[in-house]
Formats: sequence, structure tokens, C-alpha cells
Amino acid sequence: MSTPSTAREHPTTGEQKHEHASIRIYLIVAGILSAVTALEFGVIYVRRLAPVLIPLLLVLSAGKFALVVMFFMHLRYDSRVLTFLFVAPLVLATLLAIAVMTLTGEFLVFSR
Amino acid sequence: MAIPHALRQHELAHAGQATGVWSWITTVDHKRIGILYGVTAFVFFLIGGIEALLIRLQLARPLNTVISAETFNSLFTMHGTTMVFLAIMPLNSVFFNYLVPLMIGARDVAFPRLNALSYWIFLLGGLFLNASFLVGTPPNAGWFGYANLTTRQFSPGPEIDFWMLSLQVLGASSIMAGVNFIVTILNMRAPGMTLMRMPLFVWMTLVTQFLIVLAFPPVTVALIYLMFDRFFGTHFFDVAAGGDLHLWQHLFWIFGHPEVYILILPAFGIVSEVLPTFSRKPLFGAQIMIYSGILIGFFGFSVWSHHMFAAGMGPVADAFFSIATMIIAIPTGVKIFNWLATMWGGTLRATVPFHFAAGLVGLFTIGGLSGVMHASPPVDLQQTDSYFVVAHFHYVLIGGSLFGILAGATYWWPKITGRLLDERLGRLGFWIIFAGFNLTFFPQHYLGAIGMPRRIYTYNPGPGWGFWNFWSTVGAFAIGFGVFLFAVNALLSLRYGAPAGADPWDGRTLEWRTSSPPPPHDFDEIPPVYGRDSFWREKYGDDRGRKPVPRPAAPDPHGVHLPSPSHWPIVVALGLLVAAAGALTSLAVVLIGAAVLVAGAFAFALEHHRTPAHVRQDGVLGVDHRKLAMWIFLGSECFLFGTLIATYLAYKGRSVVGPHPHEILNLPITTLSTFDLLMSSLLMVLALAAVQRGDRFQSRLWLGGTALFGLIFLGFQAYEFTTFVHEGLTLQTNLFGSTFFVLTGFHGGHVTLGVLWLLTLLVLDLRGRLGVQDALKVEVAGLYWHFVDVVWIAIFTLVYLLP
Repeated sequence: MSTPSTAREHPTTGEQKHEHASIRIYLIVAGILSAVTALEFGVIYVRRLAPVLIPLLLVLSAGKFALVVMFFMHLRYDSRVLTFLFVAPLVLATLLAIAVMTLTGEFLVFSR
Repeated sequence: MAIPHALRQHELAHAGQATGVWSWITTVDHKRIGILYGVTAFVFFLIGGIEALLIRLQLARPLNTVISAETFNSLFTMHGTTMVFLAIMPLNSVFFNYLVPLMIGARDVAFPRLNALSYWIFLLGGLFLNASFLVGTPPNAGWFGYANLTTRQFSPGPEIDFWMLSLQVLGASSIMAGVNFIVTILNMRAPGMTLMRMPLFVWMTLVTQFLIVLAFPPVTVALIYLMFDRFFGTHFFDVAAGGDLHLWQHLFWIFGHPEVYILILPAFGIVSEVLPTFSRKPLFGAQIMIYSGILIGFFGFSVWSHHMFAAGMGPVADAFFSIATMIIAIPTGVKIFNWLATMWGGTLRATVPFHFAAGLVGLFTIGGLSGVMHASPPVDLQQTDSYFVVAHFHYVLIGGSLFGILAGATYWWPKITGRLLDERLGRLGFWIIFAGFNLTFFPQHYLGAIGMPRRIYTYNPGPGWGFWNFWSTVGAFAIGFGVFLFAVNALLSLRYGAPAGADPWDGRTLEWRTSSPPPPHDFDEIPPVYGRDSFWREKYGDDRGRKPVPRPAAPDPHGVHLPSPSHWPIVVALGLLVAAAGALTSLAVVLIGAAVLVAGAFAFALEHHRTPAHVRQDGVLGVDHRKLAMWIFLGSECFLFGTLIATYLAYKGRSVVGPHPHEILNLPITTLSTFDLLMSSLLMVLALAAVQRGDRFQSRLWLGGTALFGLIFLGFQAYEFTTFVHEGLTLQTNLFGSTFFVLTGFHGGHVTLGVLWLLTLLVLDLRGRLGVQDALKVEVAGLYWHFVDVVWIAIFTLVYLLP
């Protein structure tokens, strides 16, 4: 989606320039986000999807998360350092959250 | 305060610095802030030391009655809290502040006023904690404040409130400083100073700052839970309501173990500077030392539960954390061997800093070895809560951290003051501290092994603990005398010390290239960087003696720009202090503090809105400082919300009374509010695009629209909360109510902050003060706004949609 025909550059501060998505892409992303949100709301009422509901919802949510971060927050177009500075803590925080859930509470996996 | 380019370099070098108390209160100079940290932290260190001496006096003989059991509880709690948060951490900050910009060839930190704010919050947080002594209610539940000892039922007085609130305040200071130093190191290096050419101390500082910004949020959340339990009657640590006391332990130690590395890695960095200088050799395996430090930091997040082997986590968890803990010994061992290899064959100069650095290598090894013993759960079960553990962590934190700090203090003292310390007095102090330390703590291994538990205020003569406790007390007073000699030496040096010159130790790194003390602008010209140990190469060439071809001064696109003094940091910090104090007294005081805080924050934010020198803050990564800082902060926020969400899910289904989530959550309404928030993100990017184009009509339209959509989201949330309360779900109703309202409430708080930020930008725009050159400010606000949006995407799924 970042082909030269759909992306352009905006001057920001001083000599810095960052390639950002075009308005059209923003609108497309917003449309996808809306559609996926409606889909999330809808799928929980479909009984047939019950066995796969949790992974399905998690994937849809992760997709929305990624779209906002990549396009609205411009990580797709920005320095890779910024991607690392956000994604590394995000992954680590997720792992720690899973660990805390695994070690305590309803998700307790290991017997005490 | 931009200095005209026409000002000659020699004039710059001799440009005076403002003097007087006000100049220190409003200073934003990293060197002065470093000195402020030093003086403040040393005073707190003395207070913590006096607390330790009182503890040792009480334990000097069996059935002693120097202090009561209650006082003893307060003393060991305050000693631990003070030494960790008010002494060792801020003593490390002295070196971060004073030296990191000098070592990377910068003229200041990335955010000088934020740096000042971090200091003032630290000072006031420390004073607030110690004010508990003045009102006769010092904290008394141990430095790690295990629930439910800290809940209102078992600690009804304000003791824990002081502890909890001051740690919150101090945590804010640490996170701000952490973000600031990461940006400084990544973005403000002199040309040629690649990451792998950075001094080891700078590298260890960088790793430490990442640990700070990532490890503090979980304990912040734990403290928030404790605060809500104590002030608002929630049930996070209420077992009868389904709460789990292990949650506190997990959240505390997810912070607490990285905290160990936050305390020790800077010392490792200092030693890695001191040993090469006094061995006249490059650091052995410098790159491996860097990777080892990174690995220690990374593994530091995977070992926290070794503090909880006695809590009963089960064999699988025990095995995982045991193995992870043993693995972390590998990169630590690499460092020890590399320091030895650095000294091996070197031309050693046994100066005072070298003594302390070599002392660290030996003493930390002893502490590390006993640490490996604790990594085995069965062994740990024998040692936990015994004096063996006390001996272990003091070998790590005094033998490691404090010896490193003393090595750094004596190494860089001439740079900071321009005067030399007395070597003979320094060596005498070292040997007294070294002997006293080992006399104090080595016998505690034995005391623990024969069964003496921690935190007992007295003991019977029967077990035979008296003899070594007596000598342990003698050793503690010897440490005190050694520290006294250090202070005397420092004071004498300030008055009578011989002038140091710029490079008294024949140093290797850039800070020795400028005068002692350095001028306000650090360097007349940005220093050239010829490789690792650049200044050494400049003086002596590489290992074959080939000197680099001298380069002209590096281009300095920003000119010599010294940040202006500002009184707003102390105003903001005072607001925070008043708000914290108000939590102990009345809501009105909280509101006054909050008003000062908000007003101060606005003034702080807008102080340099139109200062030309602040328009561009791009650094060597090609990214603006502010944008880089926001991304680092968002990484930290991942940990904050990750902890909140994990708690909600861990406690899901554990409420012992209703209403339960499926009975009360209104999915259609929440789907609408989710849609609203997602669309606000669209408006935000449109606003940014409009500001970048200079389209003032659209920028106002979309900024206003984003704020409006944010307000609509808050309206949805207010409706939801009100409905729930009417249907019988409050913070206090059950565990679901506690976790739900705190999680979504904190998200709502973030949205509120975002709306205020957007409205501020809108007002600036309406007043014609938001132009194309300010697009970066809108972009940074947008990043925050979008992050709030993605957090809600996760909450919507995990809280509302998942069955």
C-alpha cells in the first residue's frame, strides 16, 4: 500500500521528511477498522463459530491493532528504530502478561 | 538562551555561570543537576546508613533493648526503601547526569527541563517518604511491602500510605529520567560516536534506562491496586473476595528483579571505565561486555519468580525460573572474567578508584556465587528469609553497587570539582570500608546457615547467634567510619585539593578532553571521535601507536545552544507533592495540588512553544527527540496496560458475588464507542496532514473533531459507569468491579489527558500559533492519541468480546 503512486512526502520539522500514507489510504484503513469492528460484534452471535471464537477475535483485534500502528502511527513509513522501540516492549509486555495470568488466577496452568 | 555564533570560543570557555540559590533551583544544566542528585542522594544515603547502624546496634547482643520491635520494623523498612530508591539509584543518576552527555560529546541531555523535573520530583518524593518520621508513622511492612500485610486491615495507620504514595512519586521521576537518557544516548552522540564506540558506562546506562522505563510500570500498577484497596475498598488483595496475594509478589518482583540490575549495571559500567584507565589497556572484549550487559538486562525480566520459590508456584514454574536464573550467571561471569583479563598484564596504578573497582570484582563475585545458590529452589527454601539472604544481597548491593559508585565518585571527582582527592586518606577509607564490609556481612552467611531469620528485632542467647552478630555490628560501624573518612576527604579536597587539570588520570574517553570542571556548554567544539577510547587514540594512537589524522571540529548544526533556566519543573514537582500529601489529609489538598500540577504542566509545555531553537530537535538517528521520546514512553505504557489487562483476565471469574461480566456488559453501546474512538484516530491523521500542509481551516476542523470524538467516547464511558453503578456494580462490589473500573478508568484517564492535549493544540491553532513548523508537536500528540486507541482495541476484545 506504500507504492509511490499512493504515498507522498510531507515536510515536518526543518529538513526532516517522512513518507506518510495518503489521505486515501487513511480512509481505506478507517473503513477496514470499521468493518472489522462490526465483524467482531457480529461473530460472537454465530453459534457455529463458538469453537474458534477466541482465536478469531484475537486475530481480528491484532489486525486492527497493527493497522492503526502501521498506518495511523506511521510505523510503516518511519525509522525502524521506532518500530523496535515499540514492538520489543509490546512483545515483552505481552509475554509477561501471559506469564502473570499463567501463574495466578483463572488461567492457572501449573499446580501449586 | 542561544549564544550568538559571533561569540568567540575562548569567550565561551570562560563564560560565567549564574550563581545563587535561585540559579540552582531553576537550573537545567545536566552537570548542576548531577551535583544536586549527588548531594541529595548522599544525605539520604547517610540517613539510610544511620538506620542500618541502629538495626545493628539492636542486634549486637541477645535480648537487646536499644529499640522496640515496632521501631525495628520501621527501620528495616525505611533502610531498604531509602537505600534502593533514595540512595543507590540517585547516586547512579549523578553519573548519568554529569557524565553521559560529556562521554558522548553532547552539550546537554535531550530534555533539560524534564531532567530538572525528574530531580525535583525525586527530592520531594524522598522528603515525603521521610516526613513519615516527623509524624511518627514511618512505613513498617518491609521494602517489598507484601500484601496483605499492607492492606488496611493489617496496617490501618498512614505508614503504608506514605510508602505507597512516595514510591509512586519516585517512580514518575525515574521513568521521566529513563526516557530522557535513552533519547540522549541514541540521538545526541557526537558525529562518529557509533553505538559500538560508546563507552561501556554509556552502554550500561542505556540498558539501565530501558530497564527503568519497562520495569517501573508493573510496580506502579501494583501500587495503584494497593492504593485503591486502602483508599476505596477494592479487592485486589482481598483473599475472601477472590483476590490472590501472589499477584502483588509477581508484580513487585517483575519490577524488583530488574531493579537489581538497575542498581548494579551502572556500577558495572563504571568499573569498565576505571579498570582500563588504571591498567593502561583497552577493556578486554568490549563488544562482548556490551552484549553481556544487554543479555543481563533482557534476562532480568525472566527471573523474577526466583524471589518467590517459597510462595509455592509449583515444580514447572520453579524449574523455569531456576534455569533462567542460572543462565543469567553466564553473561555476569563474562564480565568478571573480562575485567580480570583487562587487568592482566596491564600497567596497574593502585589509585583509590582502582581499589574500589577491584574490590567490586572480588566482592560482587562472592555475592554472585551465593546468588547462584539461591537459584536452586530446594537450596533457596533453606536460605530464604534467613540472614544468608541478607548477606547475599548486601554483597551484591554494597560490594557491587556501592563499591562501583565509590569507584566512580573518586574517579570523576577531579572532573566534577577540578580538584584531586587525597590518595592516602582515600586508601585508608577504602581499606576500612572493605574490612568493615566483610566483617559485617560475611558472618551473616554463617548466621543464616545456622538458622537466624531476617527481620527479627531480637533473639535469645540459646542459638549462639550473639558472637557473630556482635562482630557484624562492629563491622557496620567501621563502614560508617570509612564513609565518614570519604566525606572528610571530599570536603578537604573542595578547599585544599590540588588542581586536577583536564586529564588527571590519563583517561580514555571524551569527558577528559574538556576542562575540569567543564564549561557550561561542555565542549567549545563538538569533539571528533576516532573510535572506541577516542581520546586515548587521539593522544597515543592505536595499539601500534598510529595516531589518527586530526579532524576538524565536527559540524554543529544547532550551534552552541544552552537551555534557559526554568522554574516550572519545581512548580510541577511541588504540585505533585501537594497532591500526594493531600491523599493523606483531604480531598481539597489533592485538588489544590492537582491544580498546581496541571497549571504548571501547561506552563512547562508552552514555555518554549515559539522559541526558534526548540523548533528542530532532530538527532543522529534522523528522528526528532520528542518523537523518539514518545515512542519510548509508549513502550513503557505497553507494560502499564499489559499489567492492568493481565490482572483483569487473571481475576476473571473469581468474583465470589455478582454481578458478573456477562450479566452487565453492554456490547452494542461499547461497539459504538469503539467505533467512535477508531474514527477519532482517522480525524487525528487528517489533522496532522492539514497542519503539515498549512491548511488552517482543516487543521482546526480535524483537531476539534478528534477532541469532540474523544469527549463522546468519555460520554459513553460515563454512561456505562453510571448504568453499572445503578445496577449494583461498583469498585467495591466484587473483584470484577474492582478490576473493570480500574482498567477502563485508567484508559478513560488517558483519553481525558489526550483530549486536553488536543484542545490545547486547537486553542493554539485558533490563536494562530500552530504553524507548519509545529507539525511535529501535532504528530507526537497524535501518537499518544492513536496509542490510546490501540489500547482500547485490546480492551474491547479482551474485556467485552471474549466469552
